[in-house]
Amino acid sequence: MTPARLIARQSLAGLARDRSVLILIAFFAAMVLVTAWLGWSATNTVNAIYADAATYLSASGLPVPPNPVSQSAPLAVLRNLGVYISLIGAFGSIVIGQLLIETDRRAGTLPLIGARPFERRDLALGKMRALVTATGAMMAVAGVISVTTLLTIPSLVVGPGDLLRLALFLVAGWAYVTIFGFLALGAAARMPVTASGLIAATVVWLVVTFVLPELTANVHPTAAINPVSTLANTPDSAFFHLTSRVLGPLSLAEGFAWLSGDLLSFLPDGLAPRGTIPPAVTLPAALILAGLFAARSASKLDLNAGGPDA
Amino acid sequence: MPELLPSLSGSVTTIAVRDAREQLRDRFLFWATLALIAAATVSLVTGAIALHGDAATYAAARAQLLALGKDASAIAAPEFYPLKLMRGMIEQIEIMGAVIALVAGYRAAAAERGRQTLALILTRPMPHWAYTLAKIIGGLGLAAVSLAVVFLATAILLPIVSGIWLTMGDVGRLVLTWAAGVLYLSALFTLGFGLSLWAKSPASGLIYAFALWILVVLVSPQIGDTMDPDNQVAGGVFAQLSIPKVEQDRIKAGFAGYESFRNGIEVASVTKHFERFTFAVLGIKDTYTGAALTKVWAEKQGDLLFLFLFSLGLGGLVLLRPINPDRLTKES
Repeated sequence: MTPARLIARQSLAGLARDRSVLILIAFFAAMVLVTAWLGWSATNTVNAIYADAATYLSASGLPVPPNPVSQSAPLAVLRNLGVYISLIGAFGSIVIGQLLIETDRRAGTLPLIGARPFERRDLALGKMRALVTATGAMMAVAGVISVTTLLTIPSLVVGPGDLLRLALFLVAGWAYVTIFGFLALGAAARMPVTASGLIAATVVWLVVTFVLPELTANVHPTAAINPVSTLANTPDSAFFHLTSRVLGPLSLAEGFAWLSGDLLSFLPDGLAPRGTIPPAVTLPAALILAGLFAARSASKLDLNAGGPDA
Repeated sequence: MPELLPSLSGSVTTIAVRDAREQLRDRFLFWATLALIAAATVSLVTGAIALHGDAATYAAARAQLLALGKDASAIAAPEFYPLKLMRGMIEQIEIMGAVIALVAGYRAAAAERGRQTLALILTRPMPHWAYTLAKIIGGLGLAAVSLAVVFLATAILLPIVSGIWLTMGDVGRLVLTWAAGVLYLSALFTLGFGLSLWAKSPASGLIYAFALWILVVLVSPQIGDTMDPDNQVAGGVFAQLSIPKVEQDRIKAGFAGYESFRNGIEVASVTKHFERFTFAVLGIKDTYTGAALTKVWAEKQGDLLFLFLFSLGLGGLVLLRPINPDRLTKES
């Protein structure tokens, strides 16, 4: 067994014993379970409203427009999944990234690890490997629950193409949450004061989720966490066209929301992603950059800084 | 007993003032306030720019109609109320302000546990509740000062971005909103403080507090918002079907059970009560735009009462729960 693999296994065993991580994953799984029901229930309600409205319009001799949700693909019932991945999944990943460094630091085992014949690079790779595995497991849980719930809703017909799109969506979700996990891991490695990594990564996540969408398209914070409202057109003004072009590639939450809409087939017709670089490029690029940050920070980790009383 | 009270109030004041001094010394208050001002400014400025865009679009459409010799009243003029621009800012207080309050609460507990000073304080002849009360008062002061600076900055910025001076009535509405904000942030401070004090380690307490924040501040209102049929279709389902208001109300009445369930999920969150009260006071919600404060008060005092009782209940819980002597240090 390579040293990096050994460290990854030890770190994952530590995570599996941590109650806060288990609670967060259970919370995430519960919300994934609710997602399909939420989508199904809301779609059914709109269909019923449409039927009622169509009766009124016909009776009044007015033209009846097409049902705005009748053309929805089966995967669209999972539209809330992207929101829960970007909220609970991303936060869970931040907590995992922070704990991967913090647990060893608080237990006083970092100096002991330093005394073993490991390269610092092995330590960094081991921790990153543990993070990638843990976030991958979270997405696997989301995948299993999503497929099960999709198959249990009687009115939905799910084909292999839908399952492929769902798999691609989960890969995008994994990349998105892992970015924040890497940031937390790197920040925790650089800042020995308790919970500093957690707070620093949370601040970045808050800015990406709630501030950048306001700057690029005047999307208010509560609209930013609504899967439909967040997919709004850029307001037609020179300011928003400029900010959308400049900040669009950095607005990862909007990029992920756009990808979710595209892969789960609920993207409004003709809605372009913010900026000139598509999210399929910005998301992997951000993942690589965050990974480099985590690798550099963890390989330069001061094994003697911090400790139980820091 | 009577002679104990002045001594107790003295201890409470001493601890609260010491906490405030500490927050000022390490610049946490400064950075927290600056972050909120930055978020509020972004919301106000982007809101104003979007509104100017709407006004320009309206003016162009109106000019086109007039040039064609048609009636310009066919298109609705965008209404302008400066306080409506505060929507994004209020939402930033709901979300970012809540995170700052939780972190402040965590810091108030972690500082004592980390330096082992909590054990030292508890050896003094003062009840545990007096110590926690002092900490909560310190947090309340922190929220009051920080939000006062944010609202002052907003009151200065609003006339600049809107071009309309605020009236005394507007200032009164801002003060009422500030008071509700202080109550809301104090409750979240108390939550962060209590969990960081009780958990095995303060960092675990902060993680639990953040998880609760996601559930109460983000997920619960989000579920309610998502279940709203009007949010299922871009632009709103009724608007897209061109259904008149009277008919909308008739159709909605047929979904009363669904609507009650949806509303029930929303009002389980203290954040939604804060939002409903402040949106009504500031006239952000269309049905309250330009409405007298007496009408708003009559219809929305229940939301403020919920906010007050929630803060009081949470504070009472933290005050009454004994501090576990085995968990006085940072790591137990």
